[in-house]
Amino acid sequence: MGDRKRIARQESFNVFFKTFQKILTANNQMLAVISEMGDKLSGDYIFDSQYIRSACREAEELTQELITGINILAPGKYTGLNDAFQHIQSEIQEEQAGRPVIPKTDHIMLYHLINRDFEDVVGAKNANLGEIKNVLELNVPDGFAITTRAFDSFMSVNNLWDKVKTITDAWYNKELSVEKASQQIQTLIADTKIPDPLKKAVDKASGLLYRGIKGQKPFLAVRSSAWGEDSGHSFAGQYLSLLNEPADHLLDCYKKIVASAYSASAMEYRRNKGFSEKEVVMAVGCQLMINPRTSGVLYTFDPQMPERDLMLISSTWGLGAPIVDGRSASDHFQVNRRFPYAETLITIAEKTEKLVLQKNGGTKNCSVPNEGRTAASLTPKQLKLLAKTALMIERHFKTPQDIEFAFDKEGTLFILQARPLNIQINRSMIIHDLPDILSRHPILFGNKGTIAQRGIAIGKVFKIFKDEDIDVFPLGAILVAKYTSPRFAKVIRKTAGIITDVGSATGHMATIAREFRVPTIVNTGNATALLESKQEITMDAEENNIYKGIIKELRNYHLIEAPIEETFEYRLLRRVLKKTGSLNLLDPTADNFTPSGCKTFHDITRFVHEKAVEELINLQYYHHHDPKTATGKLKLPVPLDLVLIDIGAGLVVNENEKSAPIVPEQIDSIPMRAFIDGLLMPGAWDTDPMSVGLGSFMSSMTRTFSTNMATPKDIGQNLAVISKPYANISLRLGYHFTMIDAYIDDNPNNNYAYFRFLGGVTDITKRSRRALLLSEILEKNDFFIEVRGDLVVARIKKLTTERMVRKLYLLGVLVGFSRQLDVQMLSDQHVHRYMENFNQLITSNSNIYEHEGSHYEQ
Amino acid sequence: MNNEQQISILVLDDEPVVCKRLRPILEKKGYAVETFFESEEALKRFKEKPFHIVITDLKMKGLDGMQFLTAVKELSPDTEVIVITGFATMETAKESFRKGVFDFLAKPFKLGEISDIIQKAEVKVRGRIS
Repeated sequence: MGDRKRIARQESFNVFFKTFQKILTANNQMLAVISEMGDKLSGDYIFDSQYIRSACREAEELTQELITGINILAPGKYTGLNDAFQHIQSEIQEEQAGRPVIPKTDHIMLYHLINRDFEDVVGAKNANLGEIKNVLELNVPDGFAITTRAFDSFMSVNNLWDKVKTITDAWYNKELSVEKASQQIQTLIADTKIPDPLKKAVDKASGLLYRGIKGQKPFLAVRSSAWGEDSGHSFAGQYLSLLNEPADHLLDCYKKIVASAYSASAMEYRRNKGFSEKEVVMAVGCQLMINPRTSGVLYTFDPQMPERDLMLISSTWGLGAPIVDGRSASDHFQVNRRFPYAETLITIAEKTEKLVLQKNGGTKNCSVPNEGRTAASLTPKQLKLLAKTALMIERHFKTPQDIEFAFDKEGTLFILQARPLNIQINRSMIIHDLPDILSRHPILFGNKGTIAQRGIAIGKVFKIFKDEDIDVFPLGAILVAKYTSPRFAKVIRKTAGIITDVGSATGHMATIAREFRVPTIVNTGNATALLESKQEITMDAEENNIYKGIIKELRNYHLIEAPIEETFEYRLLRRVLKKTGSLNLLDPTADNFTPSGCKTFHDITRFVHEKAVEELINLQYYHHHDPKTATGKLKLPVPLDLVLIDIGAGLVVNENEKSAPIVPEQIDSIPMRAFIDGLLMPGAWDTDPMSVGLGSFMSSMTRTFSTNMATPKDIGQNLAVISKPYANISLRLGYHFTMIDAYIDDNPNNNYAYFRFLGGVTDITKRSRRALLLSEILEKNDFFIEVRGDLVVARIKKLTTERMVRKLYLLGVLVGFSRQLDVQMLSDQHVHRYMENFNQLITSNSNIYEHEGSHYEQ
Repeated sequence: MNNEQQISILVLDDEPVVCKRLRPILEKKGYAVETFFESEEALKRFKEKPFHIVITDLKMKGLDGMQFLTAVKELSPDTEVIVITGFATMETAKESFRKGVFDFLAKPFKLGEISDIIQKAEVKVRGRIS
């Protein structure tokens, strides 16, 4: 090689490593920014929109740095990243400008995919119903939403936006009466053709829906679900609902409902409430019609006298529309809000008529047979079921609820609508009394641990020590346990609150608690010791206090406050976090692991980091080692070939030992050293690899390597890229692929560890069992876990140096311990047994384990 | 209520989330709390009734926080003012302290931080009124 050539290569290596390190730094900073933004949502902080602006700017700049970096390492390879970045950036800017962005979704969205995060797409009514159906798993008639996007294309394709604006302007300028303006707009809409793509989408969704009800002629309930409707402002009764419409009328119904957005009363209502006409965005819900025996309305509080702690229920035979409109007599019930939901008052009306479905569509009045006229339209059993269900919905949405329901002929309860109920709590009276009431209740403990989900819970303590306890968990109790466990998901719908001794606010269970909005405090240290079984407590997970006894007033106080999560700033932060902090690209072998698959800044960060490591490894593999970096084989007392690539102060190498193999004592990389120490812990590598049965062997033979696994790091050798605070370790042990990426320095905010585990010999059941074992062990050790089949991804961040080192040590033990286990995972029992084995292994070496990292203690 | 005089607090921030988050915490501790989004409204109220403690943002439309707290201090020198701002600079901090504010806090901050400051302000106020 000529001198000039060598120097040129040397320089390009220098640029390469500098760029790689810049990517690492930006990656780290980015993870810190994202996690700080998430922290702000915990409710523990006071922030304003200025904070959101500056955090977004920082995330944008870091993402750009990352893209620039990967473009230097791999010129021209990932140009799609720029498009992805610009797309995400413009979405974030729109959100920040407060311009509601009509999301570019499909024209329709099936009910089983909807939850409250899709309010922009499907309107509030559909979003609430989707949440009830899919998160709370209650019965909601099946259906689909025609989205806000569909509305936008209906209005745009036909130039309706402009035409409507001309008319509303004329109305605002008093050139037209509201009736005239409304009439003109409604005529315009009626005369407008539905665009073909929308028509096709609706036909397709209807087809899917009707497939479920073979043989019957489908009829639908078609309802408005506008932005803002059923949320803070109820727009109650402003828009149209159509019942029992034949399927072939659907598109006409759609136009009628869109037109109802421009009824004279709706236009007046908007003007009075200060809504602009630009904010009219109408989605529509289309649901299979159910034929109800009884329908009604439930209020979870008496709006006039909420302090009485009662629910109000009105019901009648047949359809519920006459109750909602106040047209007909109905039965009234008052039910206590507390278990066992005793009825305190029953008034049975004489019901002479009921509204029923007509055979060929539409509804009609018919007379009630004599025996039904003075009979109660709800049984005590149905009342209890209703009460229980309504409280579950209230707890989830965190405000008193106004719920429409129906029981069908088979007695199944369906939820038709749920929205916030305005109640008249005498605020000044509560405020006056509350501090006094609180001071009379002893605080059992306070400021212990971390709030994972805010809220107030009242109820009896129920402690869970073993899995069987979960099966007898009583409804409405407060779950108290030593550890957090994803198994608590089983009773999450029954729990009023959760308190644990150990656990992290970013763990899997905490995520579930947040999804179900169950007040949760983790890591209290000794709640299981401080609380007694069946003790009545009030859990204030707003301010982290546990009171002795039931304090209804505290709960009522928080019910009248609109939840802080619904304020503009929280919503904005949640929305921008979806574009910055969500991670969609978990699995680098998945098809969407591409620049165009990047939907958020976090995705870009993850993508760039993964590819940067890949480039570095390829470089080392194909060009042997670079003179500027120490590279060499690690000599270990266990059979593991591991090549180390030091990119900065990760190894201590003497000049005269340069060609000798590296020994663990030379490793100066904090995470790498901890990992290797764990791997070499007595017993960690001792588990005898069992002889693989012929069946398992055959199944491993038939698992072919996909092309994107055929990189040197996967089939070539075990590699680690290290520097003083960093380690990226790719291992192939047996048939498993393990990747660990960790950064540890003395600033906890920078620290993180990422662990990924995939593959293995033997069938998928055994592999899934091992995935379960790994995830249980990691979860108990505070990692945040995601499992998909046999892919396990575990993440942890922001611990002190000392604690991070212990986590890396633990990962080392775990990698050694689990390297062949799937072959032995014959039954679910084995998961528990090996978990015990692992715990014993750690306990028997606790002297070493506890000592690990202690020299980093500050 | 206990026999001690109730401490009154006025909170002024043009972003509703701030008032919303602070109010329950202060009310549960027994303070008499009033919250405002507009500085003119807040000043009008302060002129009717001076408060023991004022918590105010700096950057606001119309009358800004610095003008507001100046007016407050002129009307009632004993009122303890706590400044919370998303645009914290050395200059604004210095100017605030020159005008006699009790403390200065940059947003975002943790609830615990402001609770501590309010508690200290309360001690000072109580020392004066007893």
